[in-house]
Amino acid sequence: MKRQSDKIFIIMFIIFLFGISVLNILTPDRVFSESENRVLQQMPKLSIKNVLNGRFMDKFSRYICDQFVFKDFFVGFKSDIERITLKGENNGVYFGRDGYLLEKYKKPGKALYNNINAINDFCNRNSNLSTYFLLIPNSVKIYDDKLPKFAKPYDELNTIENVKYKLNSDVKFIDVYKTLREHNNEYIYFRTDHHWTMLGAYYAYKQCAVYMGFTPNDINDFTFKTVSNKFYGTYYSKANNRHIDSDSIQVAFPKFKVNYEIYYRDNDICTNSLYESKYLNKKDKYSYFLDGNHSLVTIKSNVKNGKKLIIFKDSYSHCFIPFLANNYEEIHIIDLRYYRLNVYDYIKENDINEALFLYNVSTFSSDDSIDVLRHT
Amino acid sequence: MVFSSLEFLFVFLPITLMLYYFAPKNIKNLILLIMSLIFYAWGEPVYIFLMIFSSVVDYIHGILIEKFRYDSRKAKLIVMSSVIINIGLLSFFKYSNFIIQNINDLFKTGFNGIDLPLPIGISFYTFQTMSYTIDVYRGEAPVQKNPISLAMYVTLFPQLIAGPIVRYQTIAEQIENRKENIEKFACGIKRFIIGLGKKVLLANNIGMLWNEIQHTCINDLSVLTAWIGIIAFSFQIYFDFSGYSDMAIGLGKMFGFDFPENFDYPYISQSISEFWRRWHISLSTWFRDYIYIPLGGNRVGDIKTYRNIFVVWLLTGFWHGASWNFAIWGIYFGIILSLEKIGLLKLLNRVWKPLRHIYVIFLLLIGWGLFAFDDLHIGYNYIKVMFYASNVKIIDAQFISYMASNIILFIVLCIMSTPFIKNIHSYVIKRSKINNLFYENIIIPITYFVIILVSTAYLVDSVYNPFLYFRF
Repeated sequence: MKRQSDKIFIIMFIIFLFGISVLNILTPDRVFSESENRVLQQMPKLSIKNVLNGRFMDKFSRYICDQFVFKDFFVGFKSDIERITLKGENNGVYFGRDGYLLEKYKKPGKALYNNINAINDFCNRNSNLSTYFLLIPNSVKIYDDKLPKFAKPYDELNTIENVKYKLNSDVKFIDVYKTLREHNNEYIYFRTDHHWTMLGAYYAYKQCAVYMGFTPNDINDFTFKTVSNKFYGTYYSKANNRHIDSDSIQVAFPKFKVNYEIYYRDNDICTNSLYESKYLNKKDKYSYFLDGNHSLVTIKSNVKNGKKLIIFKDSYSHCFIPFLANNYEEIHIIDLRYYRLNVYDYIKENDINEALFLYNVSTFSSDDSIDVLRHT
Repeated sequence: MVFSSLEFLFVFLPITLMLYYFAPKNIKNLILLIMSLIFYAWGEPVYIFLMIFSSVVDYIHGILIEKFRYDSRKAKLIVMSSVIINIGLLSFFKYSNFIIQNINDLFKTGFNGIDLPLPIGISFYTFQTMSYTIDVYRGEAPVQKNPISLAMYVTLFPQLIAGPIVRYQTIAEQIENRKENIEKFACGIKRFIIGLGKKVLLANNIGMLWNEIQHTCINDLSVLTAWIGIIAFSFQIYFDFSGYSDMAIGLGKMFGFDFPENFDYPYISQSISEFWRRWHISLSTWFRDYIYIPLGGNRVGDIKTYRNIFVVWLLTGFWHGASWNFAIWGIYFGIILSLEKIGLLKLLNRVWKPLRHIYVIFLLLIGWGLFAFDDLHIGYNYIKVMFYASNVKIIDAQFISYMASNIILFIVLCIMSTPFIKNIHSYVIKRSKINNLFYENIIIPITYFVIILVSTAYLVDSVYNPFLYFRF
């Protein structure tokens, strides 16, 4: 009798261990993971050198992890267990109400102060330029009524006030917190992604007009069209909560006539559209806006008013700039993470007269690339 | 390599099991030796030579001790030489930076530290290898003439990295003659799965809470947050360590070994003396057999007994890490154990049982507070917050949020720290003497299967690494 259950254990264990091992060997290796949005590790080459310096082992471990069978099942399963055990979050993303995923915001460290100093420094060195700073709160703050009970992320408003206080008075701080807050019953942030929607960007755009002194287009000057309703963003990838509905991406197309000339400097491509529909069939659908990340993009419009703006930004800008493009003759968009040339020279060469820093609170609290402004 | 990794579970272990069971009896030890070396080389390939060096040195010393068995002066010199080499290895890799830094601080000198990674498990295997030569010298174990068998003992992967510290005499017999059988194998599987669950599901998850609290700025902590932080750490260290021991014992059984137990529900102890009989038993035993008793133990008069206690506990402290907080932690227990010996224990026996538990848990938590912070200054400030001795709130929303999201985990951890489940299990088996097939053959295996399945899910998730076209 005793032996029977022992045999059951051995059979179970052997089948599980060997079954998964054999399946790992039998399933063909994948090159790219859609859900993780990255290239996967392949079987490393075995050589004495690679073994002795440990590189083979590192890569082999990563290979086993990357190519593991039923990976999506396992991560979804883990997420479900976290939910059932009332964790309220998975991998730092809260399971909010109304199907919203909200990322936990933590108290910022040194990076925040470096970034503030970098902007102050930039302003001092370009006193002839009007400098603006648009700091956008994240969904975790604007939709804090959707947080799970008792969840207590660090208050983004503290960070915003802190930045306002420490910022050089010559930098005009564009306060959009209140505006977005007033609209927090609308679809202004994605449920499954860390970005805002184009509607959220519109409200911020309207607010910017007050500070930057241009006449904004009315919301009725645009038609909002849904280009995709199958968008699963970065929060979805992190939280792996399979019970969340997809987002839809709505785009504001102007009803009035306007032409743009967009130039992606790094891959030398010129186009007339602010949107790239090829991304709508991929996982990374937000790259539909301005083709995702580029070190330098210039947008020239047929608005001839002599206004030339440079924007230092994160990806929140991608669905915001399409509005701004109707009010500026030239917009130069620099991503400091990838741009390696001297920005001060660039500003002089192109007769720029306004500068806008556009970051979301989470990025601005942690990114370390803005610092290059102080070291050029 | 660690046991709680996908490459161990689904590559290394199946291969090793297969090779081991298909190999003829006379090369089983060789298979284990080779696989153990691969296991060790996985993290730090160069240190494999350290293992080989250790094995060769101990082999030669063993042979020499045997040769000069009747020349006690020479035999003593040889065993001394073995101890010095082992302690030397340990000191060089583990303590040299600490010593250099203290010399620099003391004499304002500027010697450079040695920039070497710590060989994994060195604190464990140097203690094991020392036990071999000492046991042979004392005549408590036969000399090992087969170098492969001895090297296999030194490198044996189940207990190589985190114990239990298996004294040579304990398994000397098993090295040559051990029996693998179905019952033992099944028992090993169960033990391994329990250990895996403890490590992956309990220790790692509560560890995340501790990690978050540990890295919160001291001024942002509230008194209660500091307490649940240290409680979280207590659970983490227990389930991590005992989980690892369980996995080691389980793996040992799969290959036919019987390793000694290392933990016996330490947190249910009613005195600190009892706690140390239940916590990391193999280390306490080692110190008792090779330091405390040789120093005379408690048969040499009161003053020397307390001296012996302090020597052992100072060393125990330093064994845990090359930093002063570990020394303080060791001394702290030395003091409590001495007090209990003097008369506190008798006093305790008279008080109400729950109060004894509170006494033990309170002292343990303070102890973990000392243990958790390498930096004495930070540790001191943290303990100050625990006792409301700095300007902080007693309770804040952060505490409530931590409790709310971890409440179920805490309940599970409390239950698993006691023999509750074990007792229920024995009760069910006893009650249903005949008709327990359903329970034994269905319920129990499914429970274990769920544990290994969920553990795998957590392991996969921890390496699931979405690239979030990051931030930009």
